[in-house]
Amino acid sequence: MQLDLKTIEALAPDQASLGAAAKLTKRSNWPRLESHAQLPLIWGECQGSGSNPYRVAFDTSDHGYKCTCPSRKFPCKHILALAWIGATAEASFTRVDQTPDWVNDWLGRRRKPGQPPAQAPARAEGKSIDEASRPEEIAPVEDAAAVERREAAQRKRAEDTRSAVSAALDELDQWIADQLRLGLAGFVDACSERCRRIAARLVDLKATALAGRIDELPARLMALRGEERPDAAIRELGKLVLLAKAWRAAPDDAELKRLVSTSETRDQILANPDAVQVESDWEVLGEKIETRREGLVSHATWLLDLKSPTPRFALLLDFFPASAGRRSGAWPAFVPEADGDPLAAYAAFQDGAPWLSDCPIILPAGAIALDDKDGAWWQAVSDPHGIALPVAGSVDQTLLGLDLTATAALWNGARLELLASQSNMGRLDLS
Amino acid sequence: MNELDQAGLARLRDGWISGGTAFELAPAEWKEVATASSPDEQERRLLAIAAQALDVALRPVAPKTLKRRPPLPVLALPTLPERLRPLLRAALKYAADARLKTRVAALVASRGFVLHPMDWMPAASSQESPEVYAPWVDWQAGADGDKQSRREHLTAESWDDFYPAARRTALVELRRTTPALARTLIETKGASEPAEVRLALIELLRFGLGAEDVPFLKSLSADRSGKVREMAGRLLARLGEHGNPAGGGSEDPIAELAAFIEEGKSGFIRRRTTYAPIKLKSPAQQARRADLFASCYFGDLTAHFGKTEPDFIGAWQFGVDDNADRFLVLMVSVSGSDAAVARLADILVAEGGKHTLLVLQLMLRLDIGWKRVVITQILKDAQNLHALNLVEGAEAGWLEWGDLTNGKTLSALRSAVSGDNDVTKRSAEQYLEAIGFLATAATAEKLIGDVVAAGLSPASPSLALLRLNAALAENQSNK
Repeated sequence: MQLDLKTIEALAPDQASLGAAAKLTKRSNWPRLESHAQLPLIWGECQGSGSNPYRVAFDTSDHGYKCTCPSRKFPCKHILALAWIGATAEASFTRVDQTPDWVNDWLGRRRKPGQPPAQAPARAEGKSIDEASRPEEIAPVEDAAAVERREAAQRKRAEDTRSAVSAALDELDQWIADQLRLGLAGFVDACSERCRRIAARLVDLKATALAGRIDELPARLMALRGEERPDAAIRELGKLVLLAKAWRAAPDDAELKRLVSTSETRDQILANPDAVQVESDWEVLGEKIETRREGLVSHATWLLDLKSPTPRFALLLDFFPASAGRRSGAWPAFVPEADGDPLAAYAAFQDGAPWLSDCPIILPAGAIALDDKDGAWWQAVSDPHGIALPVAGSVDQTLLGLDLTATAALWNGARLELLASQSNMGRLDLS
Repeated sequence: MNELDQAGLARLRDGWISGGTAFELAPAEWKEVATASSPDEQERRLLAIAAQALDVALRPVAPKTLKRRPPLPVLALPTLPERLRPLLRAALKYAADARLKTRVAALVASRGFVLHPMDWMPAASSQESPEVYAPWVDWQAGADGDKQSRREHLTAESWDDFYPAARRTALVELRRTTPALARTLIETKGASEPAEVRLALIELLRFGLGAEDVPFLKSLSADRSGKVREMAGRLLARLGEHGNPAGGGSEDPIAELAAFIEEGKSGFIRRRTTYAPIKLKSPAQQARRADLFASCYFGDLTAHFGKTEPDFIGAWQFGVDDNADRFLVLMVSVSGSDAAVARLADILVAEGGKHTLLVLQLMLRLDIGWKRVVITQILKDAQNLHALNLVEGAEAGWLEWGDLTNGKTLSALRSAVSGDNDVTKRSAEQYLEAIGFLATAATAEKLIGDVVAAGLSPASPSLALLRLNAALAENQSNK
């Protein structure tokens, strides 16, 4: 690696960046550090405040760089830290032959090369690696009264939020009763406007997550055929009633708080000894990327616990461009029966959390068939005339000719969203 | 859920759809659970119960009309190993259209693998995809799959067991080994097929075309379809059977076409005859000449001048009128004899430059060896590298490093990728893709190193096919 600390000093935009980078040079901040066996490239993933690490790449020959963090400093502290580790602890990098796709994408877009690398200038203009490496001065200790005041303010804020959310749920209850009184036929026809109004009210009263769910309700209804919509409206509104009741019964339950108001931060989850923590090998089953309101993109990654004897799932949920991601709890375990009811796991899931919609399930051997309107259905092999579940959206026609030995999917009570399958042609990524 | 509950749920649903209070419509057991002090709360509780009942107790009803497709047939080659699929997907992603994607499949097939069906499938109408994919082409076209397993050899008895793509592949194979048998099959079974299918079958006679085919082709002059008669006439013309005997009358199209060609002499010591297009005076004349070149047979034209086909080509003055050159080459491609095609290709390749591009019109008539010669010539000149993508039916994976270093191609590529001109760079990237198909694995590997050293980003998507090519060789050596 052609790197030295002088170069890093020269690259740094200011002393503060060097200081911040110094704190990131700990190996524990970097779940992934790799260097290319032939090319002058190092890259890594640095754990930032979001649930997704920042992806950082650095060309050691011309000092080009790329980082996915939103910093306006160029290079940012992550780049400097990566280069710093490269200059001082080369052994931290795993040498590999292939660059990951995101590094390839960056390399493909770069204006290469021609321009000479940034040379270490004669003077580092007031920036110093030595200074940045010095341990930070210890912050002054907060006095007991200040701690008490801060904690009291926190308690007050939590109490206010709880009162507001409680009021929000009262309004929601009234709204649901109104919809029933006015008739679901009218609700289905005007659901966009009606949902938007109550969602705005819920946002005002700090039930933000619930507002998001109601915002998406019209789209969920419209994805179904006309004759299915009243039933779907009953299901969705009924689940909201259940969720409101569940929250009132246990307003401090973290999962319910996540569904009604806001999520705790990543640090809060990690600090919580009661949070479910599962260390395992996880298989990515599929991803679901959707654009939510106000341009927010939600990125859901479904994972399967490979060490669990029965199917056990987790959902990794990130939102972009907001950097704070949130992570759901591990899902309860599912027991698929090879020749039995493919929805038994869904029924069990509904017993535990009847207010949730999307349930991950592992389906037994089956195949995709078409109805006379070219709608796709998943059908079990063992019982071709009884069990069939309608598939959301359109499917790749090739899938119609493959035997699916097992399928991971999300069932929402009306449609099956395929994530991945094992087949006679190996694993198929379907999300 | 029992029937009473189901009936109660249906009543509740109807009540809620139209609006108002539905509590009294609920099943008795549900009412017991849902009883509350306020009517609104009662309705909400019933709604929650109904939601759960709909979610858990009711299942979607599978329509009776549900239909499964037959299983996708298993192909004769193994599927590309999993670890190479990312490289393949990158190559497919870079390939801009269906033809270029098919070329990726052809390269992989030449190394003994087929693609995963979720990565690429040939279209139902595809005739260019490698022969190994014929069962998938038929599957795409709606074949039911039963026939696939029954077929072994194509015979009159097994004719109906084959779907069109598989039958086409089998007939081409038969024409190469036992042409007479294939002809007999086309003659006996083709007669009952519709004109479009008949035309496609007769077109296959171009493989291994010989004098033995003449009686059958002549019999087609009475065919119901004009297109079939035209195709048979062209094939006969290739065999030297004159389609339009020159009558010399005013209605004679050959004489009319010949009038557009000027006979001359050249050379001082050994005077020899030359033929050149005359200068045309109007667009109407140009259009008429184009029509005549397209509709007349080459053999008839050369007979009019009393020359053999190769001799006439030798005497043609290329470069006088580019359009006339192009029409003549097309004419030879369609109805010229094999000897005429070979002579023409010989002359055009020797001329080099833009004339090499004219050979592209002859591609369907040239064998693999000739195609290699043309490609090598294009690479040597490096003037018309875009033509690499136009060579129809070129073979995959044969181009050696020496073929690149022999001419100006390599230096042209190096300077394009290291320069600042984005247009030149993009063109060079397209040439790299084309060479990715033609090159041997060793050449591909070497070329990647060379252009990267010259300044192309190692992760440039244009290297995708070259990388796949090189990796396929590694895989073969690992087997």
